[in-house]
Amino acid sequence: MSSIDLLPPLLIAAPILAATLPIALGLWFDRTGWSVAAATTSGLFVGAVALANEVYTGENVIHRLGGYPREYGIELVADEFSMLIVLLVTAVATGVLAYTRRGGPRGNTFYTAYLLLVAGLLGISLTGDVFNLFVFLEISSIATYALVASGDGPEAAVAALKYLILGTVAASMYLIGVAFVFMATGTLNMVELAAAIPEANATLIRAGIGFMIVGFAVKVAQWPLHTWQPSAYHRAPDGVTPLIAALVSTASAYAFGRIIVTVFGVDYLAAVPNLAPIVLTIGCVSVLAGTVLAVIQTDVKRMLAYSSVSQFGLVIAAYGVVVAGESETALVGAVVHLVGHGLLKAGLFLGAALVATSYGARTVDEYAGLAKRRPFVAGSMAVLLFALVGVPPGVGFVGKWYIALGAVESQLWPVAAVIFLSTMLTLAYAARLLEKMYFTPSAPADASRPGPAATDGGTADTDAAAAIRGAGAADPVSIGMIAVVVVAAVAAVALGFAGGTIADLLEPFVTEVFN
Amino acid sequence: MIELLTSHYLYVLMFALLGLGIYMVIASENLVKKLIGVNLFQTAIFLFFVAMAYIDVDGASAPIVPHEGTPGEVMVASPLPQVIVLTAIVVGIALTAVGLALIIRIYSEYGTLREDTLREVRADE
Amino acid sequence: MVADIRPLAAVLVSAVAIVLIVASHRRPNLREGWSVLAALAKFGIVVSMLPAVMDGTVFRWSLADSTGIEFLAGLDFALRADPLGIFFALLASFLWIFTSFYAAGYMRGLDEHSQTRFFASFAASLSAAVGIAFAANLVTIFVFYELLSLVTYPLVAHNEDSEARIAGRKYLTYTFFGGGVFLLAGTVMIYWLTSLVGEPTLAFEAGGMEALAAAAQAEPVYAQAAFFLLIAGFGVKAALMPLHSWLADAMVAPTPVSGLLHAVAVVKSGAFGIARVILEVYGPGLIYDLPLDVPGIGEVGLNIPVAIVAAFTLTAASIIAMRKDHLKRRLAYSTTAQLSYIVLGLSLLHPYTVVGALFHIPAHAFAKLTLFFCAGAIHVETHTDYISEMAGIGKRMPLTMAAFTIGAAGMAGLPPIAGFVSKFYMLIGSADVGGSYWLFAGALLLSAVLNVGYFWPVVYTAFFESEDDHDAKPLLEFPAGGLGQSYATEDDVAADGGRPTDGEADQADAAAGDGDTAESDRVAAADDGDYEYAVDEHPSDADVPGGEQVSAVDHHGDHDDHLTGGPPADIWQRRSPFTESTWLMLAPIAVIATGAVVLGVGPDYAVFLELATRIVEEVFGMPFEELGTVPFDELMTEVNE
Repeated sequence: MSSIDLLPPLLIAAPILAATLPIALGLWFDRTGWSVAAATTSGLFVGAVALANEVYTGENVIHRLGGYPREYGIELVADEFSMLIVLLVTAVATGVLAYTRRGGPRGNTFYTAYLLLVAGLLGISLTGDVFNLFVFLEISSIATYALVASGDGPEAAVAALKYLILGTVAASMYLIGVAFVFMATGTLNMVELAAAIPEANATLIRAGIGFMIVGFAVKVAQWPLHTWQPSAYHRAPDGVTPLIAALVSTASAYAFGRIIVTVFGVDYLAAVPNLAPIVLTIGCVSVLAGTVLAVIQTDVKRMLAYSSVSQFGLVIAAYGVVVAGESETALVGAVVHLVGHGLLKAGLFLGAALVATSYGARTVDEYAGLAKRRPFVAGSMAVLLFALVGVPPGVGFVGKWYIALGAVESQLWPVAAVIFLSTMLTLAYAARLLEKMYFTPSAPADASRPGPAATDGGTADTDAAAAIRGAGAADPVSIGMIAVVVVAAVAAVALGFAGGTIADLLEPFVTEVFN
Repeated sequence: MIELLTSHYLYVLMFALLGLGIYMVIASENLVKKLIGVNLFQTAIFLFFVAMAYIDVDGASAPIVPHEGTPGEVMVASPLPQVIVLTAIVVGIALTAVGLALIIRIYSEYGTLREDTLREVRADE
Repeated sequence: MVADIRPLAAVLVSAVAIVLIVASHRRPNLREGWSVLAALAKFGIVVSMLPAVMDGTVFRWSLADSTGIEFLAGLDFALRADPLGIFFALLASFLWIFTSFYAAGYMRGLDEHSQTRFFASFAASLSAAVGIAFAANLVTIFVFYELLSLVTYPLVAHNEDSEARIAGRKYLTYTFFGGGVFLLAGTVMIYWLTSLVGEPTLAFEAGGMEALAAAAQAEPVYAQAAFFLLIAGFGVKAALMPLHSWLADAMVAPTPVSGLLHAVAVVKSGAFGIARVILEVYGPGLIYDLPLDVPGIGEVGLNIPVAIVAAFTLTAASIIAMRKDHLKRRLAYSTTAQLSYIVLGLSLLHPYTVVGALFHIPAHAFAKLTLFFCAGAIHVETHTDYISEMAGIGKRMPLTMAAFTIGAAGMAGLPPIAGFVSKFYMLIGSADVGGSYWLFAGALLLSAVLNVGYFWPVVYTAFFESEDDHDAKPLLEFPAGGLGQSYATEDDVAADGGRPTDGEADQADAAAGDGDTAESDRVAAADDGDYEYAVDEHPSDADVPGGEQVSAVDHHGDHDDHLTGGPPADIWQRRSPFTESTWLMLAPIAVIATGAVVLGVGPDYAVFLELATRIVEEVFGMPFEELGTVPFDELMTEVNE
């Protein structure tokens, strides 16, 4: 066993172990959380890069935990698909820390939950076992509930509880699906399942698929099962939202894709009656409903949260195209959009958090004149928003191109129409924010404080912000906080040129899936 | 129908329990009861896994597999269902703990456990 | 094909300038210096490629070849300086030089805010425009097309008031609908269609893409759908009706923007895109051969619907223009009409009409830029925006109004201005085809008359009327269709007979018949109810003192700033051509107006006509002299092979 084989378990175990450190060290020192988290996530990122290097230049890295055979042991698999998500997770987790150092939240328990969440997400990405996937889904969920609940004010607890109940039911649904599939095949390993499923009892398998789809529809926040998501994103602390928004649903959507292409297989699912139309409908309706809801929001974080509903709708629709049209292109599109959207949302929520920290501005109206006062943040957010709309050469365009091309190749015209129209729909809320930032002079009276409209918990933040300023801290915003938003924007554009490269990287995986 | 009840009565019971759990989550206004509903829901799934190992009809077989060291001679119970249920119970407990912690927080802030009252209180603020 | 970095350099030189402009935002002189320098450099790079391109060389730069990065799987991000690309790039970069001087004069004259953002966006727009010119395939052109929409948005919303924001919103909606929806959909479909018959491709080929021609035989319906998607996508920027209304609203932008971008770079990029689609994606032969089955009429070529839309647009827009009192809006509708000339010429497919259409791109650019520069100069010097307030302004701004007259003549297609040459080619082309194409020839002629109809009043009021003595403006002041009573009998002033009211009244009737496009104006006019004043309260227009005249004029609710315009207290000051404005603005006006005349007097010596014929030769694959001798039908089958 070469050392590279040890990387996958290490990527998961290291953050779990490190998660205990902030609490343990907290007995003696006050502020160790950030340092531990920073060291761990940086290490994870380096490890992920090393692993990715091996996967993309050599071959897939498979680790059997404890050396047990895969029939009943657990496998960790790093392949072309999962490595992209691992890279995204580690990169965003490291980047967000640059924000939380000054921007908060602080406290050792926060960083414990932070590291647990990262471990769970990496586990979701790397596991090759459907039940193990459930466990990691729950680990990351529990960490997320705790992180959401750590927000200011009691509203955060309500949002977290709402999320907990829906999320648990969803994960349980997935578990029922696993039970059915296990019942039919007697195995839990993804590769074994892929071989066993075509011969297994079709009724059991279909029941399993049905439960899994419902479970993932909640986890990925698809309309009408999205209700937990906006309040969770909205109420979570500003420093947490970027992480959750960028990664949690992304990892779930990744898991869904993994189940579709690796476990059941595209051929098998294509033969299941009505499956493809159902998935397509879920995706397309979410695209439309998410956007409409995003447009009518006044709070920036809520608006971006609903935007996630519609953007994940695109991904789910892409999965539908993969199944319906056996389209390789759409699969590439789904992966690119998953990664791209994760990056964009991380950047946007970081930007929103930064604005909230410095001016207490949370609603779209309060963003008026932002470009004058924070040119770099406003510029980066503009770039990210346009990338989200799908303006080339942003990463959003690349994903959209592949998904649309897949839909057209499969001659799914209504789906293609929704995908093309989604540009306009996204523009509807993106332009609203841009117009406020750049072309609306800020209200002369007391612009740095939120108006009376933002009473819902917003006041506490302002007081806090004011307190920070009053306490002599020169600026609540550090260079690092701005830099990370700028980096996200630059990366969004740089990845826009990587459409061909990513497709090349995924090529072996895609070929394997479709043969 | 009768046949289903006689042969698959365990499954039927499990799904009745499942339905009961989800009904509690949706219909009960009390947050603690909601959480109990979630627990019930999960327990039904655990029992489902257990029942799977017990029922022996329609050509289904209990999860018994050949021993790894001496294949063909000794048959052992498949470790998977047991592992699954044990792990899932642990996960469920953790979730319940977090959920209860959140409910305590809500109660201390709003002084109520009822969702409808909570909605009113929050709307007033 | 010669690998060369110059196409990329031409695109990037103004992108580099953006950085320098932003960096030197505290020093206006340096900042404008960068602007001018970038314009000169850009023009220099484009010109340096011109001789070789005229000799048949094509310079190409591709991302995959130079860096190994593939933009999208199977697709390259490539730039290519071919005759058509050089044609547009040359025009845009040449005119940018003068516009950057003019813009400096204009922005300083008005003491505008956010000048750095303005100049940076302006440079970015030129980058994107040249990118569109040099794009070697549909996806590259899409990238720059979207970027162009993006970077011109700050220019439209520049004023940061609610009117500008609404215009900006409309602008974004229209252009992204065109780019992100129609154009992207069309591009994806072309990619898919070509993948059906072999290796998928999007690269332009003179005379049409071969793979597409093969695929169109297999999937004719989808090929037609893709064609109309692409045309609609580019048609938004080319302001084809019914996708035109953003253009008039975009006139809230500062005048250099309206001039260079909304008369040349942006809108022409739409027309240019249509040229690429017709000449180098589908090719005239395929368009002619891919019949569209229209119920009740039978099969028509794909070009016919486009030509009908263009012909309708150029007539309707001219009629609407006559009722616009705001000078820039009148010019905007004139632009809408003139762009449709280009689209019409291209869609008629005949070599002569194509040459005419291509030559109309620079011809219109020079003339319309002159007109916009004049409008801007008037605005800066006198804050007058409305034609009804311009009576006698020829005294105040003699050179500007003279240039305006030249530009107007070019619009109307009067020799010896450039517009005549292009319209002449289009006329003989469509006459050469004959048949139903006479209808389009008729539309061209009618529109020339209408052009005179809406430009002559401006010239007339500037030079031949005076502040305190000018005629009524029935077209502007009355509801569409005229009043239900005799206007002449109640008004006892004989001076009204001096105006060509009869002719214009007829056109007003036509405007009424035009239906929905005129509807909004009619509503606006009816709401104001100003026409009652014009007749009843002041029985004699001549009696009205110049100062008060302003309030009696109907502005169609365009603006609320009309009280700032018009002549100062009593009459216009009389000034010499040298003192009427700053040289920063006058020199560009003079140069561009001269350019319009030079293009018209010696089109053979100005490079554009030669380039246009080269493009057509490549598309049809035979020397231009022979093209005239081959019958149209034969030409179409031949180019198809």
